[in-house]
Amino acid sequence: MLLELKQIGKTFGGITALSDVSFQLEKGLILGLIGPNGAGKTTIFNMITGIFPPTTGSITFDGKSLVQMPPHKITELGIARTFQNIRLFGHMTALENVKVGMHTVTKAGYWSSLLHLPQQKREERHVRERSLELLEFVGLQDVADVRSDTLAYGQQRRLEIARALATNPKLLLLDEPAAGMIESETRQLDELIRKIRNNGTTVLLVEHDMPLVMGLCDKVVCINFGVKIAEGRPEEIQNHPDVIEAYLGKEDEE
Amino acid sequence: MDLLNPYTLQVITFLFLNLVLAVSIYVTLSTGQLSLGHAGFMSIGAYTASIATKTYDMPILVALLLAIVVTGIVALIVGYPTLRLHGLYLAIATLGFGEVVRVIMLNLKVTNGALGLTGLKSLGTRLYDLEKVIGIDAQTFGITVTQMKALSTLIVMVILFVIILICQIRLDRSRVGRAFSAIKADETAARAMGINITYYKMLAYMIGSMMAGLSGGIYAHITTTITPDDFNYHRAVEILSFAVIGGSEVIIGPLFGATLLTGLPEFLRVLAEYKMLFYGSLLIAVMAFRPYGLITASTFDKWKNRKSRSTSGKGGV
Repeated sequence: MLLELKQIGKTFGGITALSDVSFQLEKGLILGLIGPNGAGKTTIFNMITGIFPPTTGSITFDGKSLVQMPPHKITELGIARTFQNIRLFGHMTALENVKVGMHTVTKAGYWSSLLHLPQQKREERHVRERSLELLEFVGLQDVADVRSDTLAYGQQRRLEIARALATNPKLLLLDEPAAGMIESETRQLDELIRKIRNNGTTVLLVEHDMPLVMGLCDKVVCINFGVKIAEGRPEEIQNHPDVIEAYLGKEDEE
Repeated sequence: MDLLNPYTLQVITFLFLNLVLAVSIYVTLSTGQLSLGHAGFMSIGAYTASIATKTYDMPILVALLLAIVVTGIVALIVGYPTLRLHGLYLAIATLGFGEVVRVIMLNLKVTNGALGLTGLKSLGTRLYDLEKVIGIDAQTFGITVTQMKALSTLIVMVILFVIILICQIRLDRSRVGRAFSAIKADETAARAMGINITYYKMLAYMIGSMMAGLSGGIYAHITTTITPDDFNYHRAVEILSFAVIGGSEVIIGPLFGATLLTGLPEFLRVLAEYKMLFYGSLLIAVMAFRPYGLITASTFDKWKNRKSRSTSGKGGV
């Protein structure tokens, strides 16, 4: 089991955002996390990546507990993420953004950077080559030297994925990657996520685009009001009465 | 204007000292930290180096290294609690730190209180002693001893600045520089990229502070007299305004700001007592019309575009 969430709960002040949510993610799968707005999906992401700890419960990744671990250590362990509201380093070029992503897989420190040691130069060359490779992987090789905040919306989304992949993750968390995309862009995204999975990276996907989720995921977890209401294969979820109710509401039975 | 006039030479030396200070504020700002503590660190460096040479008769090189080390230790201690603060809060805390340093220097016995330390042996004199040992003296070049001393100081200062600048440019283009820049742009995203924010913010803060400490040590040995008021609030604002006026996105920005602010008063001698008024107006004008400083990253983009457009235009003909 790559990722295991056991009965995690989160309260902010007196408000309960999540209670008693458990699910597991096996290596090599794509898991979809769905639920109406405010259900607590991003809260789960933030707890997995260490932005804040869960109030109760445990999160283990590859056998190690992630609770109380600082975010940069979690990234080092092999979890990378993208953000719902794109958070690129706007003033940097696309290439530089991906280079930042390679922070955990490189070593050069202060002195070796000042002295331009051969080892550091070699590392810089490797960083450049690998970053260009990743840009090509997401189809952005032509805009490598363009400032990232001037890229088109869909390109920014893909750049965020390339930047996350640069950390060499075992698990990639995608927070609404298709939000705001037009259909052709969503299709490209679908292909891209499949390619990522085929390269051996496990994917946890939060998404509202149901056709994308249902077509792509091996397993879907649905939460509503901070509680898990269903878990299963996409077709099971689509017909699950509680899921339908969460999305469409319940008919009055008078 | 006689270029070898000791006064002119000293002005240019101070220009280079300010350029080092500009780099020091740039490093700290490159992680998005607005520090007003640089004058305080300069003060610590100045007093450490001066006490080392005056009371303990140490060679100046050792004294300056000691100044760097002591400033670094103080930066570590002060930085640990304050670096959790952001933006204006950090500015206020570091401003407070600067004042605390000033008041401490004002009241300690070793710093001689408000009278400060006087009669330090200047860097120029020490360099000239050295030059005499290796058989060079002022007559060789047909200039006076004072000119020779001033010139030697200037040369040392220029070399030091060039070394610091090269180091900084290399740092900017390295993994560490990218981490700094990522933290400045978005701390949450930087953390998600596996960057240890606390470590890199502390690193930038310490590099900046130690550079300020070094500048302080050198400053003391150029003026040969220091008082706590040399490193007061005005100095802190002056250093910060290098970056505010020049811009802090690219290193050229604060360097330009430092040159402008050091050079202008010399040309605008008439304004003398209105110098601070002029500073103030310039600050307001820059913040109103160029909030990111006079020189920003896009300044060069435009220039590059114009260049490429003109070359492609030529190609068309």
